[in-house]
Amino acid sequence: MKPLAKAVLAAVLLFVPSAASSACEFDNEVPVKSISAGFEAWKAVTAAMAECGNFEAELDQEFRKKQPAAFAATPSLYQIGGVANSTIVPLLNEGTIRPLDDLVAKYGQNLTSNQLIKVDGQVMSIAMMVNAQHLMYRKDILDDLGIAPPKSYDEMLAAAEKIKQAGVVDYPIGATMKTGWNVGMEFVNMFLGMGGEFFTDGVQPNVNNETGIKALNMMKALTEYMDPEFLVSDSTYVQQQFQQNKIAMANLWASRAGAMDDEAESQVVGKIEMAAAPAAVPGGKPATTIWWDGIVIAKNISDEEADAAFRVAMEGLDSDMVQANSDIAVWLIKGYQPGRLAVGAIESLQGGAPSFPASTAMGLMHTALGNNVADFLTGAKTAEQALADVEAEYTTSAKETGLF
Amino acid sequence: MKGRTFIAFVGPSLFLMLLFIAAPLVSVLWQSFEVTQQVFETVEVETCTPGFPEQTCVTETRSRPVLMESGLPLTETRFVGLESYRNVLEPERAAAALRNGNIGELLNIDFWKALRFTLTFTLITLPLILGVGLVLALAVNNAVRSIRGPVIFVSLLPFIITPVIGALSIRWLFVGDGIMTAFLEWWLQQDIAMFAQGWTIEILMLFYRVWHVAPFAFVIFYAALQTLNMDTMESAIIDGASRFERLRYVIVPHLMPLIIFVSLIHLMDAYRVFEEVIGFRSEAHVISLQWLTYDFLTPDDSGNRSISRASASSMLTMIGIVILLIPLLMRTWRDHRGSS
Amino acid sequence: MSTPNALRQPLALRLTSAGFLCFWCLIAALPLFWIAVMSFKKPVDAFASNPLDVIFGPATRLEGKGLSVFGILFAIALLVFVYVFATRHLAPLAQRLTVDRQIWLGWLSAVALFGCAVIFAFVYVYPAVTGILDPLLGFLGDPIIGATVEHYRAVWFENEFYRNFINSLIVTTGVVVVSLTVGTLAGYGLARSDSNLAFWLLVAALIFRALPHSVLVTGYLPPFINSAEILRPVFGEAAPTLYGQPWAVIAVLVSINQPFTIWMLRSFFQNIPRELDEAARVDGCSHFQAFRRVIMPVMWPGVITTGLFSFLLAYNDYLVTSLLLDAQNQTMVPAIASYFNRETTTTDQIEAVAAAVSITAPLFVLVMVFQRQIVSGLTQGAVKG
Repeated sequence: MKPLAKAVLAAVLLFVPSAASSACEFDNEVPVKSISAGFEAWKAVTAAMAECGNFEAELDQEFRKKQPAAFAATPSLYQIGGVANSTIVPLLNEGTIRPLDDLVAKYGQNLTSNQLIKVDGQVMSIAMMVNAQHLMYRKDILDDLGIAPPKSYDEMLAAAEKIKQAGVVDYPIGATMKTGWNVGMEFVNMFLGMGGEFFTDGVQPNVNNETGIKALNMMKALTEYMDPEFLVSDSTYVQQQFQQNKIAMANLWASRAGAMDDEAESQVVGKIEMAAAPAAVPGGKPATTIWWDGIVIAKNISDEEADAAFRVAMEGLDSDMVQANSDIAVWLIKGYQPGRLAVGAIESLQGGAPSFPASTAMGLMHTALGNNVADFLTGAKTAEQALADVEAEYTTSAKETGLF
Repeated sequence: MKGRTFIAFVGPSLFLMLLFIAAPLVSVLWQSFEVTQQVFETVEVETCTPGFPEQTCVTETRSRPVLMESGLPLTETRFVGLESYRNVLEPERAAAALRNGNIGELLNIDFWKALRFTLTFTLITLPLILGVGLVLALAVNNAVRSIRGPVIFVSLLPFIITPVIGALSIRWLFVGDGIMTAFLEWWLQQDIAMFAQGWTIEILMLFYRVWHVAPFAFVIFYAALQTLNMDTMESAIIDGASRFERLRYVIVPHLMPLIIFVSLIHLMDAYRVFEEVIGFRSEAHVISLQWLTYDFLTPDDSGNRSISRASASSMLTMIGIVILLIPLLMRTWRDHRGSS
Repeated sequence: MSTPNALRQPLALRLTSAGFLCFWCLIAALPLFWIAVMSFKKPVDAFASNPLDVIFGPATRLEGKGLSVFGILFAIALLVFVYVFATRHLAPLAQRLTVDRQIWLGWLSAVALFGCAVIFAFVYVYPAVTGILDPLLGFLGDPIIGATVEHYRAVWFENEFYRNFINSLIVTTGVVVVSLTVGTLAGYGLARSDSNLAFWLLVAALIFRALPHSVLVTGYLPPFINSAEILRPVFGEAAPTLYGQPWAVIAVLVSINQPFTIWMLRSFFQNIPRELDEAARVDGCSHFQAFRRVIMPVMWPGVITTGLFSFLLAYNDYLVTSLLLDAQNQTMVPAIASYFNRETTTTDQIEAVAAAVSITAPLFVLVMVFQRQIVSGLTQGAVKG
């Protein structure tokens, strides 16, 4: 009768005010709803917001489709939105979120200046965490073989060759090269790392050149050391390859670092170390882009609602929440103590990795890359052909959007 | 039945179909001929984002949409005729590829690549499903009565299971070192990666579809076998018809209307193949027509989507389906004329 | 039933046919069996590269969680009993529970009772019996196969999956009821009309059936979200926001499913001789009265079969429900997909597998119960092309 007992216990606990539920500093009277992605950090933040009462969180995998439409409705269906540097673009474009300067002045005394995302001098969003792809490697394997952690992709290839010769894991390298968004992202990192500029004049495509070809060739060279199924491997797949002792190095998202030390899942607890993303050219900046996640407040709601929503959000982003959840993200919030697993992200930031250059044009470019880079990696197209197709697809969609 | 009574009976159903299917369809048709754009201006924007230890601010030139005084973005809608269709079909490039006789080049264009896969997928699975369904129905009909129930039960499982879950469960058997891949490697004594090249993924997709739909064909054929006229069968036997001849001249004609029914349903479903592409992550190698439409419609991170091209590609998909259905529609028409 | 001599088959044919059946059953059941096995293991075991590790789950067993020989035998016995009861004894039970000749009520209560009994047997009786007997049975009671129900517990209690289950129940019931009500009327109307209008309606329905759903569905989102604004001139302040409303999703799913429903039911009604209702008409009944008095009592086999197809569509739908429902009203399939789509850990994935197995269980029960009705409904002509 154990499950029953547990259910009863859970039901009882629900009605007993516990220490956690009194953590909110005020009683929220105005109904507030939020919509955001559903990963761990958002679960933690929205759970902390819920302590203020009258709050409903929608952690939705379709939020990219729903958020712009829901914020454009009058009144907006949600007061709080969770965004990243790219998903804030449609909201800015359609003017559906409000500047937060006055709210920050009123309730934002605990925010750090690093958290205020400013567009044209106005605070449009409050960032809570950063995320970036950076190097994770098996310290034990690299130490055994006498390899220093690679600082550039050339060194990474050399290291991969040695690991392959030694035959200690199935595949020396793992990468999130799933067709679509993921493989597009890998190209963006590599291309920017090699000093490429995606656009001239802000909109004209500029990838079909020497830098683009070099970036593609480097990606291809890396795939030689990967599981041949790399075109279906997403972050979770690469994470599992690490956990199951199948790969030795990968450029993986900082948010995945925690899983490496999870004893219930991982066979390599404590063996994985983090470092800055490798540089694409020797001595260059880490070839990665920095992403931030944060909250926005809708424009089409009353000032009273916005006030309540912002206060609730501040409760979600407070030091208590961070201290209780310090391992699941690289937080920007006061009170965060970076641990061993956050080293890679911080080194990448220090190394000067650029922020992901999100814009309408970049969104179109990212999609075009995601659809065409794979054709080069499978051998269906040459590098020049693939890049020409990227530019052609970009041009078609840019015309349709009205950018040209 | 009189006109008015007829409308009373059919009305609710008709209303729902008009509201939720026909109306969106008309709007899709309309949208495929026009393009709605935001009006962009080029401005210098300063953006400040998290850095270490302090914020980094960059000023760059970018285009951003013009907002009207009401706060809504300024958009303009233009009639563009067939331009969206041209963008999807890329006729110049396709013609050039055909002139060079280079099929590979033609299949590098998304639409033609998708059409190639969709058609082969539809036409290969059709006979397989009919065949497996028929053989199963005959075999079960042959089996001892007591095991029929359990066999029908097990057979129906692949059909009723939620497609997303069915596809995942098959993917897990084969992805990485899944047990089926491990088994094949042991059997063939060589390294196998099922998801590393196009044709193996295609085989898996075909296998999944046959696995999923054959039970439907089976249960329908099996039901029809229960109504097989024993007199005809006996007279065939008296005439000395062999087992195969009986199948050919008695059973198959009896099942013919149902074979057509199953084909019809299957043609429609297979032509809009979509779950397999997502479930087996085959985008790098093979894509289908509905996936193409879906991809145009799915907004990217910055919220852009190509409504016009999506509408054009879905109209093209529709046209394809109607062409495939014409023979069956003609038959329905003849039946209708015959009955009235 | 005796088989005529000439129909008796040579041994080789019988063997081939039996062999084929075995092979097919293996293929049909293996993928599902495998995910069921995975859902009971710790992540390390579930994704182990050696298939034997997946089956026997050494890491799971090390934690002292496992099935003994007795436990396995007992589970198999329970399963067989459930199957036999569902196929043999449920129909009579439904007859007994039928009040007022409303046979669907009888079935509904029989299935609900049966479902509860099955859940009770596996969730309470099984652990209790093995918990008491295992320690007494010596080596027969030692765990030999690692198994744990922690993922199920996590899914159903911690992640509150039962909410999604209730939402699924609401949407599915709504779709089946509305779809059949609207569909039987239309199907009957179409079967009894020879007009060209009826024919073109059927052809239009056929083409509607062929439409790619993603096209339709994406078009719904903006009007659904803005419906309060759009409808305000008509309904005033009471204008509803359709987005997130289960009944709006029911309407959409019913419409998408109408073409198939009316085709099925039309061919079923065509097989009911026209003389039946014409006789009633001669006696002075209107069309509706004839439909209620004469057709309704004989239409159940076809309606049950068609209803099952509606049920499957609504229960398994992903595109519509994921887009048009908010988190509070989310049904089970999109809820599971969200386990996979968001940034997942391996534990999340196993929980998703457990959830996937959980949502398959009602489908299992359904097929067990209605298997005969499906076949007989089809036999009676719901699909005469």
